[in-house]
Amino acid sequence: MRIRLRGGRVLDPANGENAVARDVEILDGRVVAATREKADADYDLGGAIVMAGGIDLHSHIAGGKMNLARLLMQEDRRAYPEPALPQLSGGFCGCGGGRAVPTAHATGCRYAELGYTTVFEPAMLGANARAAHLEMADIPNLDTGAYLVLGNDDFILRLIAAGAPQEEINAYVGWMLKATQAFAIKIVNPGGINAFKFNARSLNLDEQNPHYPVTPRNVLTTLIRAVTELGVPHPIHLHGCNLGVPGNDETTLATIAATEGRRLHLTHLQFHSYGTEGDRRFSSSAARIAAMVNANPNISVDVGQVMFGQTVTASADYMAQYRNRGFASPKKSIGMDIELDAGCGVVPFEYRDKNFVNALQWAIGLELFLLVEDPWRIFLTTDHPNGGPFTTYPHLIRLLMDRDFRNAQLATLNKAAQAHTLLAQITREYSLEEIAILTRAAPARILGLTDKGHLAPGAVADIAVHDEDADREAMFSKARLVFKDGRLIVKDGEVVDLAPGTTHVVRTDVDSAIEGKLDAWFDQTVGLKAKHFAIADGELRGGRGPSVLSCVGGAS
Amino acid sequence: MNGEIGAGAPLVVKDVVCGFCGLGCDDLAVEVTGREVRPAASVCPEAARLLRRLDTGAGTGPASGEVYDRARTLLASARAPVFAGLGADIEGGRALLDLATRTGGVLDHAASAGLFANYAAVQRTGWLATTLAEIRNRCDVLLVIGEDPTAAFGRFFERALPREALFAAARHVIILGGALGAQARRQLGTARVTELAAGDPVAALSALAQLVAGPPPRGSSFGGVAAEALAEAAAALKGAAYAVATWNAASLDRADLVAERATRLIDALNATTRGGVFPLGGRDNIIGINQLLLWRLGYPLRTAIRGEGSEHDPALYATAAALEDADLMIWVSAFRPEPPPAFDGPVIVIGHPDTEFATPPDVFIPVGTPGVDHAGTVFRMDSIVSLPLGALRVATLPSVAEAVRRLVPAR
Repeated sequence: MRIRLRGGRVLDPANGENAVARDVEILDGRVVAATREKADADYDLGGAIVMAGGIDLHSHIAGGKMNLARLLMQEDRRAYPEPALPQLSGGFCGCGGGRAVPTAHATGCRYAELGYTTVFEPAMLGANARAAHLEMADIPNLDTGAYLVLGNDDFILRLIAAGAPQEEINAYVGWMLKATQAFAIKIVNPGGINAFKFNARSLNLDEQNPHYPVTPRNVLTTLIRAVTELGVPHPIHLHGCNLGVPGNDETTLATIAATEGRRLHLTHLQFHSYGTEGDRRFSSSAARIAAMVNANPNISVDVGQVMFGQTVTASADYMAQYRNRGFASPKKSIGMDIELDAGCGVVPFEYRDKNFVNALQWAIGLELFLLVEDPWRIFLTTDHPNGGPFTTYPHLIRLLMDRDFRNAQLATLNKAAQAHTLLAQITREYSLEEIAILTRAAPARILGLTDKGHLAPGAVADIAVHDEDADREAMFSKARLVFKDGRLIVKDGEVVDLAPGTTHVVRTDVDSAIEGKLDAWFDQTVGLKAKHFAIADGELRGGRGPSVLSCVGGAS
Repeated sequence: MNGEIGAGAPLVVKDVVCGFCGLGCDDLAVEVTGREVRPAASVCPEAARLLRRLDTGAGTGPASGEVYDRARTLLASARAPVFAGLGADIEGGRALLDLATRTGGVLDHAASAGLFANYAAVQRTGWLATTLAEIRNRCDVLLVIGEDPTAAFGRFFERALPREALFAAARHVIILGGALGAQARRQLGTARVTELAAGDPVAALSALAQLVAGPPPRGSSFGGVAAEALAEAAAALKGAAYAVATWNAASLDRADLVAERATRLIDALNATTRGGVFPLGGRDNIIGINQLLLWRLGYPLRTAIRGEGSEHDPALYATAAALEDADLMIWVSAFRPEPPPAFDGPVIVIGHPDTEFATPPDVFIPVGTPGVDHAGTVFRMDSIVSLPLGALRVATLPSVAEAVRRLVPAR
């Protein structure tokens, strides 16, 4: 099937094209060089902007904690019922609804409407991996993948405590990536979730676990080395120590220094950029942290922007979630210690614009966006749903692109918070090209997805077409056309078809010597056999299996 | 896990995964001879009963095309169907949900009474929970509320409190409102056991929670348990490194209150030490089907799909209540030969071939058993871990998914 998109302006930063007037041609799901062949379908775009489909590298879309959030927050589901889809034959498709924690189906549909075609679940627990994959199989219109949470599991803490050679750590990481069908390694509060199981209520970067002679720094540097040596494309995806704690700016700066030049991705940096200045002992450290990010090209970040309104926070960081559960709104929360592996905490939350802390959190996120200079090293996220639902992205894009709009919003917030932020003085406005970098080109690059995030021949035909509009929120709220693997799935902002996605996984060389140890560990200690813990390829995507990216190891 | 299966000498299949009670044992051994399956080792009485297959030559064959036609006709004319039982693996659940989105109807599971007793507590306040591997290795004080769990979960203590643990140096089981049988005692080995007989377990548990949270309640006994004994139990719980409260809501009166009080007790403990609730339940993959509904519809079981939307109501859409307004029941029970509840209207059964009916249903589609006749996925009771069931023999009956997909009208 040959499709021609005529008369659009191509915004493809990966290939240096900034609104270049040219046709884009698709053949059987891939972008091809323009030909004079007759097309099966031809779309006249009338000058609309053509980009690769959006890629979200950090959004909680699947796994047990999302189901716990759905269970806890039936209010969210009732307030956002399923829409009928008259374009689909059959009308009602049983797609569910919800806003903060939409159903699998609604997640795929709402993302597609915004022009996104690939989304990564950033906190899959090994113990819950099979369930996360079952859920991802039911997300239409999106390719997905998941980062495996490691670093709080007793197996790796025992290895590190025993001074195991790095090769053994690497073998374990490689085995776990394969067994859980994961795409990258996430560390959540390195060692802290584990320490909470031993009744520690906080754990600093150089503080020892109550049981193991291991610090968060040990966990971090050991796992950074593992993914580097295994050749996993995405660096360690780190949710650092002390999330949400005023004064965690020092931890964040120390964490960056701890990398000693190795690659590290700091996720939802906004929640880790808090100082203790001012009479409320809560202040923005965005400028200091952005300066450190700017000075360290090995560091990439995503923001985790706070957006005002009701949401649900869901995190593997049970230590932090337990600490914050007093802020729950409505007043209820769930916590869980999980399988010698990690944990989870679900706390409903309402970010209020008249609240000093919430308003300053909003400002800190925007400061980070505007003060980190390299758009290839910062990514647009709200840590969905923790800072706010992903459906608020168009509003966030306008805040970044439109200074007057941003300042007008700022002027309505809590007065004390306004006095504590530099935001009003920052003149930077993101360009369209920079937005395309943040939301497409850069995530593809940092994830190692060479055929995504751009529109050169050979690219996957995941394409979003947006009508130019000076109101950038309106422009990005509804894509005019979205293609998934060359199939039209959104027209005029409405889902018109459901395309099956794939799930990206990585595979490394695995030293099989670790298998005997893991067999014994799972069988005797966990109480589940390693072979039943491991997920077969055929269990993914309804039997279609994953899309495998093979890692080339050896780097150090 | 299942090698070549011939009709000759028995083949011992090891590491069989069991999907019946929800405890998720995956170390069973069974003997397979042709179509016959016999438990061999590490099999509890319930699993032994449900796994055993003897080739009597009188087995039920697959349903004919006319049977499926009749089912389709009933589904097409139904205005208010109820999909009940829902004893199916995840693929079966997916197929049933796809069917229900076309026909509309209420979705509920045979074992959901216990689940919703627990959810009454979860949805009001939330809770702090834990999973099996944490209990195995951390739990030094286990509070059991109600009867000995061994009756419904045959290997519970063996699995939850093995002698070897990474962290727990000793085990202490406090059973409130029940007594431990010989099986439980054997599995617990050297663990210390305190039995507190209670005439009113809810009252006793309320007092225990209050003793943990403070200030202590006034009185000399609560629910039939002496105040001193409860104070000792409270001290043990507060002194624990990792305390766990467990109960089987399906076997308790006023289970919603038990869940609520246990939640409160664990909440209070976590102010100074650590612990979690571990609600027992989860037979016939109820947890898996419930999880599936949550990610597909955004609601748990006891949800109705009607017209252009779905809605959840734990009372209105419980099977018995929903049947009062139903004009068709679709009963699904693949794990065990459980007959449907009484119903005046037409009944379609997609069930275990050995099901015995008081009244023959209008349509009976026999299906294979997940984990015996075909592979599948089921969830453990903790809702976190799910397990791959394998096939022990060549199937002669369809799976629930295969049977139901034949019923879905083409769009």
